[in-house]
Amino acid sequence: MRRILRLLRLEIWRQIIGWSGAWWFLITLIIGQAVAPLLGLFVWLHVPGAQARLGSYYLAVICVASMTASFENHTFALSIYSGTVAAALLRPQPPVIGPLGENLAIRFWMFLLGIPMVALVGLSVDATFSPLPVLAALPALALAAALRFLFVWTLAMAAFWTERVHAVVAFGGVLIGLLGGSAAPNALLPDPLRAIAQALPFRSMLGFPAELAAGTVTPAGTAAGYAISVGWTAALGCCAVGAWRLGIRRYTTVGA
Amino acid sequence: MTYRVPVRDAGLIAAVRAVVQRRYRDVHAVRNLTFQIAPGQVVGFLGRNGAGKTTTMKILAGILHPTSGRVRVLGQIPWRRQNQYLREIALIRGSQPIGDAPELTVLDSFRYQQVLYDIAEPHFKRNLAELSALLDLDRVLQRQVRALSLGERMRAGLALALVYRPKILFLDEPTIGLDVSAAKTVRTFIGEYAAQTGATVLLTSHSMTDVESLCPRLILVDDGAIAFDGRRNELSSAFAPTKLVRVSVTDDNPDLTPYGDVLRRDENHWLLRVDRDAVPEATSRILSRFAVADLSVEEPSLEDVIDQAYHRLRQVKDAG
Repeated sequence: MRRILRLLRLEIWRQIIGWSGAWWFLITLIIGQAVAPLLGLFVWLHVPGAQARLGSYYLAVICVASMTASFENHTFALSIYSGTVAAALLRPQPPVIGPLGENLAIRFWMFLLGIPMVALVGLSVDATFSPLPVLAALPALALAAALRFLFVWTLAMAAFWTERVHAVVAFGGVLIGLLGGSAAPNALLPDPLRAIAQALPFRSMLGFPAELAAGTVTPAGTAAGYAISVGWTAALGCCAVGAWRLGIRRYTTVGA
Repeated sequence: MTYRVPVRDAGLIAAVRAVVQRRYRDVHAVRNLTFQIAPGQVVGFLGRNGAGKTTTMKILAGILHPTSGRVRVLGQIPWRRQNQYLREIALIRGSQPIGDAPELTVLDSFRYQQVLYDIAEPHFKRNLAELSALLDLDRVLQRQVRALSLGERMRAGLALALVYRPKILFLDEPTIGLDVSAAKTVRTFIGEYAAQTGATVLLTSHSMTDVESLCPRLILVDDGAIAFDGRRNELSSAFAPTKLVRVSVTDDNPDLTPYGDVLRRDENHWLLRVDRDAVPEATSRILSRFAVADLSVEEPSLEDVIDQAYHRLRQVKDAG
């Protein structure tokens, strides 16, 4: 385990250096992650009777989106298309280290470069946060990061079968946007869509940590939300392992 | 190793039909390929484009899982890619000598290899110093990978692959695209590394200079099967039915055309191509009939032999 953590740390370090030259591209990624929540914010701010803490909620959504964004359709899928995944297969380390390290490195840069934008939005909407709800949201944020990585990585493994992986991942992104809490906070969705959205993993990837940070979730809702997050993390983890085994079997027998 | 590839007829209608009715064809990339390589051997693995060389190399390295057959390298099944196996092999491709992360410096990449392959600091320092000296890397260690020339990239890629002292090297076109000087450096280094460490080397290359200077044993593959497996000098007798006879005579207007095909004539210096079996009689008659100043019998160049082998194999395939 110590070796794996050491390898992961090394991979993150390697990828942080690797991505250091692409700051302009990273800024476009940050803006891309913020556009949908900002639209949701502007729309809902003008709806009479909407929640009072919408500004704080959407600012938290922007933070969660920036810190959990996954781009394996650009990174991992590209390694399959370019053939560099073959070299990665011959490294004596677990295969997840490479994609996970790159994922975390990109998030590091997005977090760092996104601070000015978050500050600007926060001042504009007069957002406020209390320490306790923010602390309660941190484990949910970690689960959201794991969930979104597992979800996008699994979808990106479609690259083992098709060259149209961006369409597959874009569809997943639409689901996260619509049902995850970006288009509308979960509490404002009509029934039965709200109940469905609560049961699916997308709220856990985006809206749930933001709701916790904004302090808009009841204790019972917090417990239920964490149970759903943990359950989906385990399920998507199994999906990722299964997709990897099937994909790598295809790659190593067909040459992809 | 058989690939199943989709096929369809040309045209729009066929393209639409292929959406609902897919057809496939089996492509046999490698078949009936049987060979053994003893530890420490340096073997040239030759064949035309598409003959199955790279597929075989990928199977042996562990990237591809063959559809049938049995493969053991260092007693292990390569495609299980167990850490113990991966630590003892290196696959170096001339087209991609260094993997990803071009922003890293070469020294950063070495440090990464050190952690990845658990190389103790004293061994790492010693290996790095040796490789830097042999491959003249001192000036590139602090530079980013993306800023290296192709030759520097290949030298750095070789060093990175060898810093953990693998027992087996799979070299796929290691000198492709390199200038004469860089190619020579790489070639010399590979030979020295194999001699010093006793590493086993399997080399594919279209450069006959690489093959001649490094590989005493050659395996020639054609259409996914072995066409020749033996010592380099045996290849000529297997595929080149002729030898070259170089003669210098002092006679006036000598005529050597009856003794072989004249490839070149420069005043009294002749270069003849003579059937292998007819060489003793032809040289004997030339010596007895002309005032010979010099005579030598040569094997054709490896390039010519390989070229003849490819043609012969193509003729056999077309006929059968």
